[in-house]
Amino acid sequence: MFRPLASTHRLPLARQVHLGHLPHTRSPLVPTLSFFNSVTGSDEKIPTFRVLDGVGKPVDGAQLPEIDEAFARKLYENMQLLPTLDTVLYNVQRQGKTSFHMTSYGEEATIIGSAAALELDDEVLGQYREMGVLLWRGFGVDSVFAQCFGNQDDTSGKGRQMPVHFGSPAHHFQTISSPLATQIPQAAGVGYALRRSPDRRSRSIAACYFGEGAASEGDFHAGLLLASTIPSPTLFIARNNGFAISTPSTEQYYGDGIASRGPGYGIDTVRVDGNDVLAVLSAVREARRRTLEQGRAVLVEAMTYRVGHHSTSDDSFAYRQRSEVEDRKRIDNPIARFRLFLEAQGWWNAADEEELKTRLKADVMKAFKHAESLAKPELGELFTDVYAGEEPWNITEQRKELTGLLKKYGETWEPWRTELARFKNKGQDLTKA
Amino acid sequence: MLATRRFKSLPFAPLIRRNSTAAEPPPAGGHSPTIATSQLLRTTKERALRTPGLVWNDDEPSNAIVSVGRECRKMNVYQSVRDALSIALTKNDNAAVFGEDIAFGGVFRCTMGLAEEFGRERVFNTPLTEQGIAGFAIGMALMGHTPIAEIQFADYIYPAFDQLVNEAAKIRYRSGGQFNVGGLTIRTPTMSVGHGGLYHSQSPEGFFMGASGLKIVIPRSPIQTKGLLLSAIRDPNPVIFMEPKILYRSAIEQVPIDDFELPLGRAETLVAGADLTLLTWGTPVYHCETALHMLADPPPALAPHVPESLRKAKVELIDLRTILPWDAEAIAESVSRTGRLVIVHEAGMTAGVGAEIAAEVQKRCFLRLAAPVKRVTGWDTPVALQFEKFYIPDGLRILDSIVETLSY
Repeated sequence: MFRPLASTHRLPLARQVHLGHLPHTRSPLVPTLSFFNSVTGSDEKIPTFRVLDGVGKPVDGAQLPEIDEAFARKLYENMQLLPTLDTVLYNVQRQGKTSFHMTSYGEEATIIGSAAALELDDEVLGQYREMGVLLWRGFGVDSVFAQCFGNQDDTSGKGRQMPVHFGSPAHHFQTISSPLATQIPQAAGVGYALRRSPDRRSRSIAACYFGEGAASEGDFHAGLLLASTIPSPTLFIARNNGFAISTPSTEQYYGDGIASRGPGYGIDTVRVDGNDVLAVLSAVREARRRTLEQGRAVLVEAMTYRVGHHSTSDDSFAYRQRSEVEDRKRIDNPIARFRLFLEAQGWWNAADEEELKTRLKADVMKAFKHAESLAKPELGELFTDVYAGEEPWNITEQRKELTGLLKKYGETWEPWRTELARFKNKGQDLTKA
Repeated sequence: MLATRRFKSLPFAPLIRRNSTAAEPPPAGGHSPTIATSQLLRTTKERALRTPGLVWNDDEPSNAIVSVGRECRKMNVYQSVRDALSIALTKNDNAAVFGEDIAFGGVFRCTMGLAEEFGRERVFNTPLTEQGIAGFAIGMALMGHTPIAEIQFADYIYPAFDQLVNEAAKIRYRSGGQFNVGGLTIRTPTMSVGHGGLYHSQSPEGFFMGASGLKIVIPRSPIQTKGLLLSAIRDPNPVIFMEPKILYRSAIEQVPIDDFELPLGRAETLVAGADLTLLTWGTPVYHCETALHMLADPPPALAPHVPESLRKAKVELIDLRTILPWDAEAIAESVSRTGRLVIVHEAGMTAGVGAEIAAEVQKRCFLRLAAPVKRVTGWDTPVALQFEKFYIPDGLRILDSIVETLSY
């Protein structure tokens, strides 16, 4: 029978006739020229793991994760807390009270489900849309607002960073950096250090979040390569939400999403329905188990949809239809989906819903009002933490220079006086020191 | 493409070099200008057409200095970027514009409508990889094309540092002049906006200062942006074109709609003076203008700090425009006359561009200097969000340094 000389391979590689192996690798030698362009060995895309259907009903053959009522309610409450916070933080920015916000709308199941699958002291390296991981770990809404307002209670970065750039050693959450993907190779290093720490190696992993856009950066490839080759117990969680600012994922990559890259690095990989919180929980639990067991990278790609704009600096209706977003919100709402599941279990009802929404809103508004009332950190914090140990002369001199200027003009020059009044101690930590 | 760089401006080069914008003196009323009310912006057609050094780049052979009857349109900086890109794409079929989020208009709206007008083959989104964007652009330029790539924020240019410093800057030299990437232009928004924090406020021009082979250009206004960007695109060297992002919307001028260029490597004297040279580029140009107003006519709160004897001082304000290679001749000429130099930039002081300028000026003008060269810069810390008003050099800090340097 005629066979073209070169074909795109359609059969599993193992079924080819082969002539032994290349030395040093296990690559079988074959007499047929064939190309391949799939990690599934077929025309099928990489499948997506799901346990709940669009209306929260377990799909046929679904293996539900082990959860009890209390745990399920905690999942749901955190999923609801995220948009409650987002709505207030978004509006607060719109009123000019903060400079920026990024919502998690639509990604609640991916973020909360994965957070819930990790141990509380697994080291997390996030991108910027992972506030929910901190909420799950008990960071608290007061700390969220303090960071977003950059006030004197901002434990994340003393008011230095833009809103949503959280960080907390107590919650094993490295401080967010705006440059994309820089956390990915760092996560490999964190994983490796955990493996070298006797008290952590048998129980802790590094968990690294990033979007499908960030996965285009060179740092993504470096990070997966290192964590698989060195190797390092690092769990990579790609939030594929369909958009990197305006750029749809169809213009971000030509291959089969982010998951197709995992096997290229020789690592266990799974794609999961990121709007199904129980599927995310199961997939990340198992991925975490493998990461720890193998001491090597594992990749999870969570398929979701960014319902919100990229940030408060973005109007996404400039590049996507409002109706597309409305459809996604209606048809595939991760929160509604899980609520229907909870109700079917008898774990949730309308009264619970009412009570939760009222309580969360009250908590959030209280934290907002408190954060709004607080001053910025002390002005002297402008110059601290550049170095540890002996302070270099230039920093010392520049602090002195600003102090001199404040003494000279701070009480009489209105623009400076107004600005100084916004700092804790009104700059006197410098001028009266 | 590279060979088509026009030299018809050459006969007028001496004019360009000596021409001073010499803006009208500050109003006696003493209000401090903002960017919106800056006297440095050419808000009438007549002033726009008198922009020093402007060279028309007409399709038909013409007298390139004739400005009579040319049309202007009111534009802000992002509109003038778009205008320049549109001209480059229209006149050069090998020109292409690309970068992250370019197709829908870019996050600062500089590429609005270009994809629709010129097609997705020439105006396109890239995946999110700055090193990739720079490398890809270098590849196109190696083939004689004219890539105009955008890095979305200057703060995010560092993944491309290797491609720009080790490759773009060195290709001509390492190939013995056989290969070059002269067609390459990298556009990137730079400097602070007041609420950008560590990673949306940086001025990284100094990091490229040692990369001979590259040019670095930073415009201050819509007319400057259009003329310098078209020059950058057509310059036979790779150029990093940094656009001060706070000016995208706030700086508005009448901009000639025809194709024109402004010279690279040439500073521009914005206000002539004999007592002190005030040198800057980009956004701080306007803070310097404010400082000059406050010097001449200090508000009551500042009056005690500005001696009467200094208020009549003539400060020469110079916009450096091209950071690399910088116009040492013009700066040294000015400082030789004034004996005093204050340099203002937003980047931190240590190894900022001001350091290089100060070193060269003290060499060239050592015996003429009446005061140490003063630098007014960001501090040597990252740009801290809630502290930005006390980080970024403002009019008051510039004024204080002028007074200090004049009284030295």
